[in-house]
Order: sequence, then C-alpha cells, then structure tokens
Amino acid sequence: MKMDIIENVIKWAESNIDADYVEIRYENISRLHVELKDGIFPTFTTRGSEGFAVRVLSSGAWGFSTTTSPERLREAVEKAHRMAKAIGASRKEKITLAEIKPVKAYVNSKMRIKPVGVSIEDKIERMKELEKELKKESCVKSIQIRYEDATGKKILRTSEGTEIEWDMNYVWQYVWVTGKDHKGMAAARDEIGSVERGWELFEDENAETISERILRKLKAQLNGVHPKRGEFPIVAAPIIVGIIAHEALGHLAEADLTINSAFRDLVGKQIAPEYVNMSDRIVEDGFGNDMYDDEGVPIKDVHIIENGILKEIMLNREYAAKWNMEPNGHARAESYSVPPIIRMRNTVFERGDHTLEELLEGIKFGYYLVDFRGGQAELNSSFQVGVQEGYVIRDGEIAESIKDTSISGIAIEALKHISAVGKDFGLEMGRCGKGQMAYVSSGGPHMRFEKGIVVGGQQ
Amino acid sequence: MNLIKYGEKYFDEVEISRYHRKYASVSAEMNDVSMASMNDTTVWVIRGVTDKRMGIAVVEGNREEKVLKGIELAYKLSKTNEPDSAWESFPDKKQNYHAAPPVDKRVKDVNPDELIANTIKGITEILNKDSNAVVAGSEMGAVWIENSVENSHGIEVTQRDGGMYYYIYAIGRKNGRVTPGIIELDARREAFVDVDFVVNGVLEKLKHAYNMLQADSNESSLIFEPLALAELFTYALYPAFRGERCVKETSPLCNKEGEEIMSESITITDDPFHPKSLNPLIADDEGVATRKHIIVEKGVFKGFLWDNYWGKISGKDSTGHGIRTLKTGAINIGAHNMVINEGKRSIEDIIGAMKHGYIVSSLQGAHSSNPDTGDFAVVANPAFVVKDGEIVGSTVLMLSGNVYSILKNVEEISKESRPMYAIARGVYPYVLFRDMKIAPVSR
Repeated sequence: MKMDIIENVIKWAESNIDADYVEIRYENISRLHVELKDGIFPTFTTRGSEGFAVRVLSSGAWGFSTTTSPERLREAVEKAHRMAKAIGASRKEKITLAEIKPVKAYVNSKMRIKPVGVSIEDKIERMKELEKELKKESCVKSIQIRYEDATGKKILRTSEGTEIEWDMNYVWQYVWVTGKDHKGMAAARDEIGSVERGWELFEDENAETISERILRKLKAQLNGVHPKRGEFPIVAAPIIVGIIAHEALGHLAEADLTINSAFRDLVGKQIAPEYVNMSDRIVEDGFGNDMYDDEGVPIKDVHIIENGILKEIMLNREYAAKWNMEPNGHARAESYSVPPIIRMRNTVFERGDHTLEELLEGIKFGYYLVDFRGGQAELNSSFQVGVQEGYVIRDGEIAESIKDTSISGIAIEALKHISAVGKDFGLEMGRCGKGQMAYVSSGGPHMRFEKGIVVGGQQ
Repeated sequence: MNLIKYGEKYFDEVEISRYHRKYASVSAEMNDVSMASMNDTTVWVIRGVTDKRMGIAVVEGNREEKVLKGIELAYKLSKTNEPDSAWESFPDKKQNYHAAPPVDKRVKDVNPDELIANTIKGITEILNKDSNAVVAGSEMGAVWIENSVENSHGIEVTQRDGGMYYYIYAIGRKNGRVTPGIIELDARREAFVDVDFVVNGVLEKLKHAYNMLQADSNESSLIFEPLALAELFTYALYPAFRGERCVKETSPLCNKEGEEIMSESITITDDPFHPKSLNPLIADDEGVATRKHIIVEKGVFKGFLWDNYWGKISGKDSTGHGIRTLKTGAINIGAHNMVINEGKRSIEDIIGAMKHGYIVSSLQGAHSSNPDTGDFAVVANPAFVVKDGEIVGSTVLMLSGNVYSILKNVEEISKESRPMYAIARGVYPYVLFRDMKIAPVSR
C-alpha cells in the first residue's frame, strides 16, 4: 500500500519537477523503551515512528523535507525541490552522484526470535534478573538498566529505479552501575545489542555473564589508583583497540571528514607499520551490519589501512563522485526525520600474530587498558577515549587497577608507534553520534603502542 | 475531542504533552552550501497511571486518531508494568507561572533565501580574509516551538518560543598541517544572527591556530572559555545537582547542603528568565512553574533540583526541573538555563595579566567524565598558548582533575558572559583556574 503511494509520487515527480534525483524513504517502526532504575520502571514506553523522508537533488544541490502524512508526500517533494533549487542557484560546484546499478530487493531479518514475539512480561523479568544478580554485590548502590527493541519496515524508492524493502529489527541494552565503598564512589557501563540476533542474544548475554563483566569493571575502578599522567607504553585490549579504530581513525576515513582532515593528503601513503591492517567491514553479528545503505548501495568492505598504507575511505554517492571512487554503502540515516550521512558500520583492526604475554613482555612501566567510557575525535586527528577499566603494567606483568582516566593522542602519530599486533579478536557494540545516532561495532586484537598515547592522570 | 477526558476513561490520572517544532535550515560543507531543509514536526507524549502502574506512548504527527490510539497503547502497556508504591500523583497544585517573555514571531516565517544568502556571506568572508581556511561545516537555522502539557489535575500550559542559530566550524591548512578545528556560534531569541561576530571569531582564532606549539607537562593556569566551561560542567558537575541522586546517596553532594563546596567567587543559578537566557520556559515538562533557583551561592551548596516524582518522595516538592527525554517520553531531572556569575575584569585584562598559561576553547571527551565523583581527564582542543599577556599559538593538551577540586582554585571570572545553546543551555563567563594538571598531546 505504502509502496503504491511512493510509486505514484515518484512518477509524478519524474514528469512534473526538473530534479536530477528524487529519493523517498519510508519507515514504520514500533519501538519499546523500558528502563529499570533501582527497582522501578519509570520508562515504560511504546513509540510508533511512521513517516517519509524526501531528498531531492536539483540544480546541483540538495533539498530535504519530511512528512508523516501520505497525503502530503507530493507537497514534501515540492518543498524539497524548491529548497534544492534555491540553494543550487548559489552553489559554486554542483553536486553530482556516482553511478550505481538500481537495486530491487527485499532484505530479510536474520533474527531467530524477533523481539516483537517476546512478551513484555518476559522482557521485564529478564531485566529484574539482571538487577538481582548485580545487587548481590554489596558495593553496588544504584543500577540503571535501559532496554530497547524495534520492529518494523523501511522502504527506499528512488527516481533511478531502486526499490528496497527491509524487515527492520534490533535489540539493545545499556547498563550503568554506581558502586560505593570505604574508598569512594565509582561507576561502570556495559552495552550490548544486535541487528541480527534477536531475543537469542540474551542466551549468551545472560544475567551472570553481564553482571560478572560489569562488576569486574566497577571493582577495578573502586580499587584503582590514579594513574601518572604522560606518555607511556600501552597495551590495549580489543575493546580499547576498537574505540581507537573508531574514534581516532574511522572518523577521519569518513569521506566527508577526510576531505578536511589530516588524512586528506595521506591516501595511498604508508601511515603505519606494514603489519597494521584496519577495515570497516561486515563482521559476525556486527551492530552495523546490513545489505544496502540508505541510498540503496550494496555494502562493501572498506580496507582503510592495508599493510600500513592508507588505502580506502568510506563513501556515499556524493563523495564517491567527488573522489572519483566507487560508492561503498556507508550512507546511513538514523530515522526518516534526517537525511543519510557517511557513517561507520563495524570498524576493526585485523589480527596479527602475537600473544598477550608477548605484548606485555619487556614493559618496565606502562598501562594495560581494557574498556572505555566515551570517546571523541577531531579533524586534526586528535582523539580522546575515556577509560573505565585499566591496569598498571610493571615489569611485564599486569598489576594494580587504575581509575578515572582517559587517553589521548594524535592518531597519525600514534599509528606509527604500534609495535605488535595480537592474534586474538574481540568486538564491542555501541552507538556513534555525528549529529545523528548510529548503531556500530568496533574491535580488533590486543595491540601494543610504544608511545604516541598520552594518559591523563591526577598524579 | 478532549484528550484528557478520553485518557481518564482508561487511567486514574493522565498527562498529555504536545511538542511542535517548525524549522528551516541551510547547511554547508567544504566551503559551499549543500543542503536546505524545511520541516514541521509534532510529537505527542501520553503518560498515564492506573493502580500506580505507569504506561507511556510517544506518537508522531498531527492525527487525532493516532493520539487516541496512543492513549490506548499506553494503557495496555501500563497493565504490564509493576506498581510503584512510591508513586503519588502527577503535579496537582495550582501553578503561578511567570509572565511569558515576549517572542519574535518573525522567526516562524524566516525566508530560506535569507538563510542561504547569509550562510554564503559567512563562508565568502572567511575565505576572502584567510586563504588557508576551510569552512568544514556551517549551519544557519530558524526554529519555532509550541509546547503544551496538560494533566488530569488541571495543569494546562502552552509555551511558544523561537529563535535563530548559526555556527561555523573551520580549520586551517598550512605547510601540510591541519590546525585544530575552530568553532564559533551565535544564537538569539529573534529573527537575526550576527554573521560578522561569528566570522570574526573564527578568523581571530584561526590566526593564532597556525602556530602550533607543544604544551608543558606540569601544573598551569588555564582560562576556560564559555563553551569549554559548559561542556565540563554539563558532564562532571551538573549531574550531582539532581535530587534523585541525593535520595539514592550517589551524589558527591549528599548531606552537603549549607556547606562550602567551591570557591566563594562562584554562584550557580538556574534562571530561565535571565536577560541572556535562550530558554525562558515558564513551565517544565510536567507543567510545574519554573523560577530562578540558586544552587550554589558564593561557593555554598544551597540545594538539589527536583522533578515531581523525586520532589514528592523527598518531601521537598518539585522545583520545576522535570525535563522530558523526547525519545522515550520519560522525565528526568535537569536545569533550564544555568547561569554562572560574572566577575569584575574584562577577559582582555585577565589574558593581559597572564604570564604563562592556556586558554581552553573547547573540550574533547567531556562526556567521559565521571558524574559520580566529578573526576575528569579531557583534551583541550584547541587550546591557545598565552605568554606575557599575549596569545602566541595553539596547542592540544590533556587536562585531568576533579571538578570540585578545580572549583576551589578559581582565580578570576570575567565580566563578560555568553549564552550557550548547543551543549548546555546557560550563560557562562570565562573562568581562570590555577594549578591545573596538564600534559601535552600535540607536538
């Protein structure tokens, strides 16, 4: 039914407005938001999101509008067209799009148990079990568990003939625990989610597993010492390696940022030792996995760093044309209310061949960093990552834990100082904010940085 | 249809809020305008309680039948929630609202052509005056909002407001190096933004940014610009003011009402009606009247902020600080317009008297601060190096500490303050802190 309405408006646009490209994205998604906060459920919400996003390329510029009403879809196209024309008249360089082959497809969900098929009672029972498990630890003073799931459909139809429908589903959980003992107060966070595993995700991620993970981080903070500030050898565990991949390098490899960033003049050049490889790619159960992006481009693996050389960047169709490259499926929109922009999916360093023991070997004093709390990158390749679990390395051994610190560096400098890459691999699910929120994953093996990473500390 | 009456058919009590937003914006990237957008959005939030069980529905669009269905869905959901024995009621007292400040209705109909012309003007002026500059991003927009909340106990309030915003984010490229990103912004409750102010602000900072220096590794004096101060306080300090954390004893300010917690030169007020406020709300998202609320007076902690739920539990009543998360419809405690007091000397005089130190323009990673302790380890990017009273270059540095400790080391506050809207709504001066622990990041 909705496809017919869209089809009619696209046909109308083809013969009534002088646009180079018209794109209509329709979403009808039901979300459940539940928050369990110290024994009560203050958030117990159902949210219906249904609407149309319209993007029109005309006179070499974009116009964008949205509507929740099918009857006003044509008007939304006219509005977007008018805006594009107005801006196009003033634009110096006209926007063009890289050619793609139109796609007609239906993207099925891979979930075994979709969240819509699970009762709300079961969902809240699982959250209560997790709360109960966490409360067994006497230092735990406050627990916040946020759960979200979604079920629905998304349709993309363009004037070039692309016609894709997705069966959209995801599950997500975020836990924040505050602990207190005679030494003071500390907090730990944990985040999981999937677009491919439904309720079955919680078979592996059960109350005991999650609780054990959070309490390990919380106790490390409570018992931790303030680190020394300055530059030290670092061994980074997969989750920290992942956030460095995402924040320090991934953002610079998003073409809309690359063009202004420290990466711009480095494409094709050696930026890291030859044993360093980094990609944005489809990974098993990656939170950024999909078949097509929000411009209908099939998703391809992007080999950002190959044998130490900066090779490929993430593109949408506009920037693919600008860089004279093939689009690789990285245009993503948070919802129908915003246009797609270039985003990461699953950003990872690839495996090397060292064991953790080998990575720690020979470090007289340094830090072993395991898990993070927030991070941010800038165009000059400066990055910052908050650390929620870390330890001192003394004489090649992991020693006491540290608390309340973060790491920073200039990514293009730090990369040169990677001295060894582990043979293991780990992945963390999370969210990325770039004006819009996107579900992503990041990860990799353990890695050792001889220098280039500054530890922030109160000592 | 009377929606509250319809809701009462299902719930013991119900609250229905409507958030309408009309906006037009023009964005630019890579030295050129790229997209123009125009939108009207309406979001309804229904919160209903029966037998102390709450259900919430969030509905998008203007169709009444969708709102009615939302009421039914919220009711269905509430039946599966567990009763909250601490629940008392939605706000039920007659409210004395402050007179609504005047609104510039021209904002509703700002001409997109004007936005396009002004955005181009800003870019052109930057490029004409600095050939190494790149306008990486810029946006100018006009926003008109109409929000209302009503509940079963007679609360009924509608608020209208509008304004314009504008920012430029630029970098400089010289000799193969990229400067730290420079951001300047302007926001007003009128159909006007000051393009020259934003352009000149960017150019002035870029001028110093090209000379990139390495910071020291020691303790130093740092001036926080209003944006950096807003970023740090939002994540490291303000969460501690939430009354919920007082009840749960997870705020470092528990049992510290009446105690000196920071330098006596600091006063922090939540004042929606401050002359520079960009958020002059007469009611919070639960319909409770807002007011000027002193949180810290001359360094002494005066008290927590409360929403309806936690205010009733604590026996202190709501202070008008219920803020809705529109994504989920839930209410959390938050401030409307944090005002940090002004000092006596101008920022020029404060910089002029500085022998050696840094000006922190904006922060990376403030959101990774620990709200439970106030500890932070963030990156100043960009920071500007001051020597003998002059700005001599830019740098990137790591600074770490505890927000309560640094607030005991306030050396001076500028007499100028600026309204902030992007990170934390409020009015912030420049603040000079002494003895902050820093480490160099850029070389």
